[in-house]
Amino acid sequence: MRLEMGSFPVRTISFGPATRWDAGHLTVDRAAALAEVRRDPRIVTAGLDIAAPGDSVRIWPVRDVIEPRIKVEGPGQCYPGICGRDVATVGEGRTHRLSGMGVVEVSSVNWHDAGGDFVETYLDMAGPFAEMYPYQRLQLLCAVVEPDPALSDESRNDAVHKAALTVSDHVARATAGLTPPERKTFELTPCDPALPRVAYIWGVHSPQAMSGSLTAFCTATYGLTQLTPPWVLHPNEILDGALTGPYRTAFAMSWTVANNPLFLDLYRRHGRDWNFLGVIVLRTEWTTQHEKQMIANQTAKTARMLGAQGAVVTWDAGGNEFIEVVRTIQACEQLGIKTVFLTSEDDATDGAPTMLEPLPEADAIVSTSFFKNVTLKVADPGPVSRVIGLERKIVHRGSGVGLHGGSDSALPTAGTLPPPWRYDDHYGFGSLSCIE
Amino acid sequence: MISAIYTFAMTTGANRVIRGARIEHVCGDPSLGPEKDYAYGMRIVRKALEAITVAVTGPTLFDPQAGDIQEPSHAS
Repeated sequence: MRLEMGSFPVRTISFGPATRWDAGHLTVDRAAALAEVRRDPRIVTAGLDIAAPGDSVRIWPVRDVIEPRIKVEGPGQCYPGICGRDVATVGEGRTHRLSGMGVVEVSSVNWHDAGGDFVETYLDMAGPFAEMYPYQRLQLLCAVVEPDPALSDESRNDAVHKAALTVSDHVARATAGLTPPERKTFELTPCDPALPRVAYIWGVHSPQAMSGSLTAFCTATYGLTQLTPPWVLHPNEILDGALTGPYRTAFAMSWTVANNPLFLDLYRRHGRDWNFLGVIVLRTEWTTQHEKQMIANQTAKTARMLGAQGAVVTWDAGGNEFIEVVRTIQACEQLGIKTVFLTSEDDATDGAPTMLEPLPEADAIVSTSFFKNVTLKVADPGPVSRVIGLERKIVHRGSGVGLHGGSDSALPTAGTLPPPWRYDDHYGFGSLSCIE
Repeated sequence: MISAIYTFAMTTGANRVIRGARIEHVCGDPSLGPEKDYAYGMRIVRKALEAITVAVTGPTLFDPQAGDIQEPSHAS
């Protein structure tokens, strides 16, 4: 499976008469892009806005950030399966991406209404809070959309994400006939058999148990989010967006999944430092002991059948999902597969372990800081000049979700706000350092 | 402690652990329908009440699905 990735860097975005990319500048025909969005009768209002690094802008609510990618040769469609897109297996041919930018999905639609799980992310383009996320360094094209409120949760979710993908496709299409200024070929070429064989076990939350739905929105594998056995994906499938979707926290949205630095480094160093075998997608939030232990055993078995001698493990969630993740590590180690685990740490201020179940087999752990902004003592981001999205933000306090203390309230988005309660940097993007 | 992730409950040091159903509904199973859900829930709760009458020397599992109180099985 061979994939050529052509990158078109975006250094500025503006609106203009026709959508085109030229020497780092992206011009967007706003009316044409919005006409494509409005073709979906479920969309009631739609707008486009631009935010650039350093702007005094706050974007709220942020459901997803998508890097525009489009297939120009080879089977299928980038970001396959989600919102009714083609499920053809991707990862071959040529893909174009607009690097250095993101399409932001802005809408009041929550991803599902069960389980007390809310979209909490907002983005600032300036200030210290913005520096904690990779998005502040991007040129952002914001699709602000609201669907018909009478529709079901899942229909509204589908409509909103489809709208953002429509904008992403619209701008990515501008590169279809152009020669990419940067090209790179990705292939799992045969390599020295002496190199260690390494798999990436990529834990991905499933909202099935919380939402009670098999089709609730989240990071999807070819559009599916339900609890499924481990999926073996070629790394090129990841590059074409086989794993993608909106997410409740900033660090596992489509852009961060597509640009996961751990994954990209595993791939870049294939054939030099190790033999990269591929990705095993481990769905998490199974709800019985039987299921958790079985999925751990089966994930480890899959890694062994791939020939893994080592595995790098990440996850994108919290709470009880730790069990199947840490037991996967245990099961791998028991099969002789050495593991390294990349994770944020839980709040240890009340004496609880920073790992829910600290098993002795998980003995090589890279910490990406603390799970909660409150533990990190992140200061409340101050006022901004301009808001993209909703004028007010619900702040969940003392609800078990908000953890900000006090009672729930709706604050002006442009004013001082508590940061989203979670800061879990799953893939090592962060620029935080610590004082010892 | 009634827990759906019962071996985890034992490793954290709970003395009497009763095997619960699922994380989202520990004491029952709505998919069984109201009557069977109730009966299943009662079985779990009864097992929990029985468990506190038994002397234990360490983390011990009580399984409502196993009929009578089993021999205490100690967590490693």
